[in-house]
Amino acid sequence: MKVESYLFLGCATFFGASDVVYWYFSHDPTGTTALALAVCLAFLVGFYLLFTGRRLPERPEDNPDGEIDEGVGELGFFSPHSWWPLFVGLAAATAALGVAVGWWLFLIGMLATLLAVIGFVFEYYRGHYAH
Amino acid sequence: MVTASTEVTPRGITSRPNLVSVGTIIWLSSELMFFAALFAMYYTIRSVDKGLGQPWPQAHLDLRLATINTIVLLLSSVTCQMGVFAVERHQIRRGGRIWNVPGWGLREWYVLTFFMGLYFDLGQGWEWLSLIHDQHVTVASSNYGSVFYLTEGFHGLHVAGGLVAFLFLLGRTFAAKRFTLEQQTSAIVVSYYWHFVDVVWIGLFTTIYLIH
Repeated sequence: MKVESYLFLGCATFFGASDVVYWYFSHDPTGTTALALAVCLAFLVGFYLLFTGRRLPERPEDNPDGEIDEGVGELGFFSPHSWWPLFVGLAAATAALGVAVGWWLFLIGMLATLLAVIGFVFEYYRGHYAH
Repeated sequence: MVTASTEVTPRGITSRPNLVSVGTIIWLSSELMFFAALFAMYYTIRSVDKGLGQPWPQAHLDLRLATINTIVLLLSSVTCQMGVFAVERHQIRRGGRIWNVPGWGLREWYVLTFFMGLYFDLGQGWEWLSLIHDQHVTVASSNYGSVFYLTEGFHGLHVAGGLVAFLFLLGRTFAAKRFTLEQQTSAIVVSYYWHFVDVVWIGLFTTIYLIH
């Protein structure tokens, strides 16, 4: 994963150099701050990839002679289907509408959001899926 | 001619980057841009107000309270990481008595982190109350009030979001009867988020309380 991390760290270096030049010519605090955080943005991803890549064995993507089928195996857990995101969305929309309509609707929306998020988070921890 | 080998060992989930943690890092980097807008707003208003000859900051800030709050939040990152070390050795609950701190599991460390985060948010609320009642600085009172409450407020909301995440994570450890890799992943990504919120606070603390 070295190539990916160097790409992002290269971006961070570029933004850093731009930031210094920008501040030197403009003395504008707004753009300088935004650019400084853009450095952090690229550095965060680059550092994560570099750090994670060191802890993992070489991936088929990193090998010039790698084959597609070398990547087979478990990718992670994917929910086959779920109604909860819909309920979370509806509840959050109700709460957002409540900001414009009135506090009573906002409170109802927040309560509904809380219940929907609980359902979402614990979906694979209860009933048939309990483990 | 090159032919693909027919005997390929399926790769386990631990041999590739965890998708949840990659997604969390990408999301956190976009969160940085959210805070970039807040920081840029703060510095713009500051430079405009100072250009008009107005004082900055336009309130008497309680540096002592904020420093204690900051130290608690910084230490909560340490306790959070201790929880991650515990979950990496697959230890959810404590091994010995409650005062045997080295034997603590994920649960004990994350409960402690939760209360430290709660202390931070309550401390900030206390500071706000004194600013509103004693100095009449509100979000509508001045430019300074607006940027102060918006930046600190959005950070405080992020801390509150982290507290909710801790509660859900702890709830999951009680809902599941056995340890799974998913719990480890959840604990690690929540710790990423918590460290992120902590680092952003260092920037905010420096900006609001130290740079005059």
